[in-house]
Amino acid sequence: MRKYLVAYSIALQETLQRRSTLLMDRLGGLAIVVSLYSFWSALLGDQPSFLGYTRAEMLTYVLAINILRSFVFTGRGWLLVGDISSGRISSYLVRPVSYHGYALALDLAQKTVHLASSLVETSLLVLAVSGNLFLPKDPATWILFAVAALLSSLIFFFLEMLVSSLAFWTSESGGPLFCFELFLQFAAGAFFPLDVLPAGLRRLLAATPFPYMVFFPARVFLEKVPPSEALRLLSIEAAWLLAVVLAARWVWGLGVKSYAAEGG
Amino acid sequence: MGKWGMGAAIETHGLTKDYRSPVKEPGLRGGVKALFNRKYKDTRAVDSIDFRIEAGELVGFLGANGAGKTTTLKMLSGLLTPTSGEALALGHVPWRREADFQRKISLVMGQRSQLWWELPAQETLRLNQAIYDLDEIDFRRNSDELVDLLDLGEHLSVPVKKLSLGERMRAELAAALLHRPSLLLLDEPTIGLDVVMQKKVREFIKAYNIRSGATIMLTSHNMTDVVELCKRVIVIDKGRILYDGALDLLVRRYADYKILRARFSTSVSAEDFRALGTVVGSGENSVTLEIPRSRVAASAAALLRSYPVSDMNVEEVAIDDIVRRLFSQT
Repeated sequence: MRKYLVAYSIALQETLQRRSTLLMDRLGGLAIVVSLYSFWSALLGDQPSFLGYTRAEMLTYVLAINILRSFVFTGRGWLLVGDISSGRISSYLVRPVSYHGYALALDLAQKTVHLASSLVETSLLVLAVSGNLFLPKDPATWILFAVAALLSSLIFFFLEMLVSSLAFWTSESGGPLFCFELFLQFAAGAFFPLDVLPAGLRRLLAATPFPYMVFFPARVFLEKVPPSEALRLLSIEAAWLLAVVLAARWVWGLGVKSYAAEGG
Repeated sequence: MGKWGMGAAIETHGLTKDYRSPVKEPGLRGGVKALFNRKYKDTRAVDSIDFRIEAGELVGFLGANGAGKTTTLKMLSGLLTPTSGEALALGHVPWRREADFQRKISLVMGQRSQLWWELPAQETLRLNQAIYDLDEIDFRRNSDELVDLLDLGEHLSVPVKKLSLGERMRAELAAALLHRPSLLLLDEPTIGLDVVMQKKVREFIKAYNIRSGATIMLTSHNMTDVVELCKRVIVIDKGRILYDGALDLLVRRYADYKILRARFSTSVSAEDFRALGTVVGSGENSVTLEIPRSRVAASAAALLRSYPVSDMNVEEVAIDDIVRRLFSQT
């Protein structure tokens, strides 16, 4: 366990060391929030609500996306793709350390910094729009939201490990990961609440882990999911996490075996 | 058990590795064809090799690029599974990658870094301390010793990206040896380094071998590395062992000369140098000679005395030449 704590602390230092990368990441995230906000404001116009979302709820959804993006969408997929294609992966495979555990420690460090930064940004934005927000009063909502967000973030991490492991077989290793990330943001509800989609598409997405990653936690926060339903969905989310962890480990095992057979 | 000897650090029997690589016909048509029906070609990188290395030995593994050196090291460290054959390293089957085995070995590949680029190398040492589960006393003792042997001093506290290649290579060695591996596999440890740094790294490897009693196997295509470090060498070509034995004997039989290159400030004739050694190359004001080891000093002195030499150096024989000679006699 200690090795992963040390990896976490080193990665934390490194993330802080790369100040300009961090700043760019955060500015990019803010640009998305501002454009989503302007977009939804324009759609709402003078109406009190649109597709079941009031102005305050929509604004809250957009701000929640900023926090969730920072916390959920920070996998270490590109690290793995890079390590495989450069051969650096070898240096982990000969040391007594689990790559998934190591990458997760690195990812948690990244999440810590991004979460802290997004909380500060979001607070500033809240002050800027002065109070026109939906804030849940029930403390249980906050807890449910936090648990849902934590699970989503782990699902995202292991999905990225799963997809990036394809780099063990393909030489154009970045391709699958790039497509995956783009599709995921859409399917997770990171651009708009998924209930604006046609019913057929919504049902299709409901059978995947994606809606649990942004859409579900955000709706929990907006108290649009009754508590009993929220618990049911949380357990489905936990089951997805388990499935994704197992799949990622299985593909990883195959990948390492093929790496060992084919050579790097 | 039968065929396995007692107490060897490494032992292999018929170790063989084939690589599978896609073959593409030339041009766009070939590219489209490969999209649907990919053909593969098997290349034998290591071809049924047998050897045995005793604990504490420092053995050089020589061969041209693509001879199969790195592939062998990768199998012995557990990164690659052989196509056929067997090996035991420190009593373990390497490619099972047991934690117990991994704690006792280290693989250093000259051009692949395990150091954190943005941070001082000290942080990578801390991480390795945790990975190899070293307590504070062992960590201090080992890292102080390595810093001293490698002459690292304050380089450990500077971000790795600010280090020179030579400093980085030495920091790399410190990270790789922190856990005092009893088997050290070094792949081209001096590649890309300048002559002074090569010497430093070589001196370190030798000192580490003596101090820790570790078994060391190093690959190189630089003959100087081997001449200065190893009593025993294994020469490999096209995946097969051409020679396994004392370095002395190899040198006496196949590399009993050194290469002397000289430049002159006036034009010279190649004919003039026949008495000193075999002329293997010449230009208007330069000459390259093969000179028997015993006469190198005398010939160099004679050259300096009789000609206006502007530049001169003496080199070890290129490994490719030794391999060529070995090959023509086996």
